[in-house]
Amino acid sequence: MKPRGGYNVNLIGGPSGVVEKLSPPEKLCIPLHSRHLKFSELRVADGDSVSSGQTLAVDPEAFSVPLLAPCGGTAGLSRLDGHIVIENLNCPPDPAPDPELPTHVPYDSGQAAEKRRKLLELGAWQFVSNARTHQVADPDGTPSAVIVSTVHLEPFVARGSAICTGSINELVRGLEHLQSLLEYQAIHLVLPNVKLELAQDIQKTIRGHAWLKLSEVPLQMRYPFDNQTLLARHLGLFTEGDETVWFIPAAGVIAFDRALTLNRPCTSRIISLAGPVVKDPLHLEVPVGYPIDKIIAGRLTQDDNVRVVNGGILTGTQITEDQAGIDTECSGLTVLETPTVREMFGWLRLGCDRRSFSKCFTSTLKKAFGENLSTSLRGERRPCVACGQCVTVCPAGIMPNAIHKYLFSDELEQAQRLRTDLCAECGLCSYICPSKIDLYDELVRAKVRIAEELGPPAEEPEEQAAQENQEEDVA
Amino acid sequence: MKFLANLLDKARPTFQKGGSLSALKPLFDAIDAFMFNPLTQSKLAPHARDPLDVKRYMSMVIIALIPCTMASFYFFGWRMLPMIMVSYMAGGAVEVAFAVIRKEEINEGFLVTGLLFPLILPPGLPLWMVAVGVMFGVLVGKEIFGGTGRNLFNPALVGRCFLLLSYGGEMGGAWIEPGGGWFGRLGQYAETSVDAVSQATPLYDAAAEIPKFAPLSDLFYGNVLGCAGETSALALILGGVLLLIFGVASWRTVIPLLVGFGVMTVVLVGGDMQLVVWHYLAGGLLLGAFFMATDPVSSPMTNGGKFVYGALIGIATALIRLKTPLFEGMMFAILTGNMFAPIIDEVFIAMHVRGLRNEK
Repeated sequence: MKPRGGYNVNLIGGPSGVVEKLSPPEKLCIPLHSRHLKFSELRVADGDSVSSGQTLAVDPEAFSVPLLAPCGGTAGLSRLDGHIVIENLNCPPDPAPDPELPTHVPYDSGQAAEKRRKLLELGAWQFVSNARTHQVADPDGTPSAVIVSTVHLEPFVARGSAICTGSINELVRGLEHLQSLLEYQAIHLVLPNVKLELAQDIQKTIRGHAWLKLSEVPLQMRYPFDNQTLLARHLGLFTEGDETVWFIPAAGVIAFDRALTLNRPCTSRIISLAGPVVKDPLHLEVPVGYPIDKIIAGRLTQDDNVRVVNGGILTGTQITEDQAGIDTECSGLTVLETPTVREMFGWLRLGCDRRSFSKCFTSTLKKAFGENLSTSLRGERRPCVACGQCVTVCPAGIMPNAIHKYLFSDELEQAQRLRTDLCAECGLCSYICPSKIDLYDELVRAKVRIAEELGPPAEEPEEQAAQENQEEDVA
Repeated sequence: MKFLANLLDKARPTFQKGGSLSALKPLFDAIDAFMFNPLTQSKLAPHARDPLDVKRYMSMVIIALIPCTMASFYFFGWRMLPMIMVSYMAGGAVEVAFAVIRKEEINEGFLVTGLLFPLILPPGLPLWMVAVGVMFGVLVGKEIFGGTGRNLFNPALVGRCFLLLSYGGEMGGAWIEPGGGWFGRLGQYAETSVDAVSQATPLYDAAAEIPKFAPLSDLFYGNVLGCAGETSALALILGGVLLLIFGVASWRTVIPLLVGFGVMTVVLVGGDMQLVVWHYLAGGLLLGAFFMATDPVSSPMTNGGKFVYGALIGIATALIRLKTPLFEGMMFAILTGNMFAPIIDEVFIAMHVRGLRNEK
C-alpha cells in the first residue's frame, strides 16, 4: 500500500542531538501507570528497602511487565498518590563499557524462551508492542514479522538519531539478539534517508552478517509514516487481518542488548526536552521516576503560563499534578506556552508568520519554516463545514468528517462501516480542523466503543455468498 | 486598542450568566471574538493547532468576492452599498435571533451569505425585497436545518429562488443600465423608481424568437444588464481563480461543472464555438460555478462526489438555459445539485469503503 496523506507540523524548539545525562536526584517518583501500562500488582511494601533493578510492581494485564527500581533506596507507597517514591537513593553508576565486548553475537536460537523471559524480567520487553493494538506484545507469541524503527517523526519526542548515535554497536547486537528469538521471520529495519550518516553507519556494521535477515526500509520523512500500524500496512504485513506484527523502537533494541549481553536492567530512558519555551532543547538520559519539576527547573524561558506535555504535541498527554515523575513509557517532554495576550483582528492578518496546512495565509508563498506554536486553539469550536482537509491529511485513508457526522448522530454501526478501526491515531485531523473539532479524541473513543459494543465487523462477502447459495438452493 | 479591550472587558459581566443582558451573550461573544482572538486553549491532544479557523476560511471567500463587488459598484453605482448593508443587517438579525434562542455561537458562514446575496439580485431591486429575501434564505435555507454546517441548500440561492417565485415581475423589471467610461456609475445613486428598466438581459435576448447576442467583450467586462455581481466575467474569473488557489473552492467541482456545461452546450447549439464561449460568459454561470456550487456545506463531501455533482450542475444549467422557457438556469441547477448531494455522497462513501476492504 502506498503512503498517503500526512503532514509535517513545523514548530520551533526541536531538540538538538546532545544527550545529557542527569545526575541522580534526591528522590524518585515513579508513576504506577503510563499510556499503555498499569502496574496494579505491587511487589514491595511501604518502607521496604529496595535494591537497584528490583521489581516494584507488575502489570498483570500486560504479561506481568515489571516496573523496576532504577536505584536502591527506601520505597514509599503512600507519599504520593499513584506513585512509588524511592528515597535515600543509592544509585550505582554504570560501569565503563568493556572494550573487549564483541561487536557481534553468534547466532543462537536454542534458548529463545529463556531469553524472552529474561527480557521481560529486565524491563526490555515493554518496548515490544503489537503493531495493530499498540499494546505490549505477548512474549510467548510468534510474530509474522518484526519492524524495528530508528525514526520518530512526531514533534517533539526523542529523535531516533539521538538514541542511536553512539550506540550503533549496541543496536546491531540487539538486532542479532532479536533475530535469535525468531525462527524464519524477517526484521524490517526502518531507516531515515539512507544517505544520512546514521543509516550508513548502521549498514556498515551490519554488512557481512548474512544470518541477520534484515530488510531495510527507507522512510519518507513525513509525519506520521513512522507510526507502527501504518508501517505494517505500508509494508504489506497486514493481509489476513489476524497477523501479529511486533514493533520495536531503536531504544528497545538497545535495551535488548543491555539485558542479554550485559545482564543489566533497563531503567533509564532517553527523553527529549523541547518546545518553543525551552531555552536549549536537548535530549536527556534520565532514570524512570525522575521528578519532572527538577527536569524543567531553570531550563525554560518562562516559568508561568506553560503546559508540559508527556510525549509529542500531537498525541501526547498533558502532565497534571497527578504525575510527578517520568513514567516508564515517556519519550519526551514538550513544553508549550499557554497564551495570555489576545491579538486584535488576528484572523484578518496576512499570516506570513503562520504556517498552515491550508493555503489561506501568505506563508504559503514562503518555504517551510518553524512556527512558535502555543496551546491556543486559534479559533472557536464550530460545526463541521465539510472542507475536506481531514480527508486529505488522513494517512489511514478514512474520512474523519463523515465519521464525525455519524458519531454526532450516534450511529455507531455507520462509523464502523466507514472503517474507524483503520484510524492510526496520529492526531493530524484534529490539528488541521478549521472548526476545531476534537476528531482525534472522537475517533479514538469510537474505536474503543466499536470494539466493545459491536465486536468485529460482519464478513460481508461470506454473507453474500451464503445468501446466494441459499437462493440457488431454493431455485 | 487597549481602550477597546478594556471596554469589552468592562461590558463582559453584563452579558454573562446572571447579567442584565445575558440573553444577548452570543452577540457579545461574536463581537468580542471578531475584534480579539479568544484565549481558548486546546483541552485534548493535539496540544497545538493549525492557524486556520472558520472565520479565516469564510473571509477568504469575501476576499475572492472583492473584484466582482467592486465591478458591481462601478457598473451600477452606490445603490449596492445599502443593498449589501440591508442584506447583512436583515440576515444577521435572523442569525442572531437563532443563536440567542439556541444559546449557540453566531456562525461565520453568514458573512459569506450576506455578501453573496445582493450580488445575485437585480441591482435595482427595492431594499425591502432584499431584506425579505435574505431573511427567508437564512431562515428556511439554513437555520431550520440547524445552522451553518447542517444546511442542505445554499441559503443565498434559497432566498433568491423565493424572490423569483414570489415577486417575479419586480425581479425581472429592476435592471439598471450599466455605467461606462472611467468612473461608470461610481458617482451616482440609482433610484429604483427612476433608473430601473425592464429591458431584456443578454440571455433573454438570446432566447427570443429572433435571437440577439450581446457582444462578447461587453459580457467579458460586464457592461450588460444583469444581476449586480454576475455581469463581469473578468472580475468573477479573477476572484474564482483566487478561491481555487486558496483551496476554499474545490477544483473538483468547478472544472467538471464548466466542462459539463461546455459539452452540453456544444451538443445543444452545434459546433459554433463563439456561441459556446458567449454562453460561458453570460448570466450567472461563472458566479455560480465559483462561489455557489463550491459551497462546501451543501456540496458532497467526497472528492469523487464533487466531480459528479459539478458535472450534474453544468449539464443541468445548459439544459435549463437552452431547452426550457427559463432562460437562466444556474440557480435551479445548483439547488437541484444540492438536493442530490447527499445521495451522491452515499454512493461515493460506499465506493470509498469498498476501496478500503483489503486493508486490515
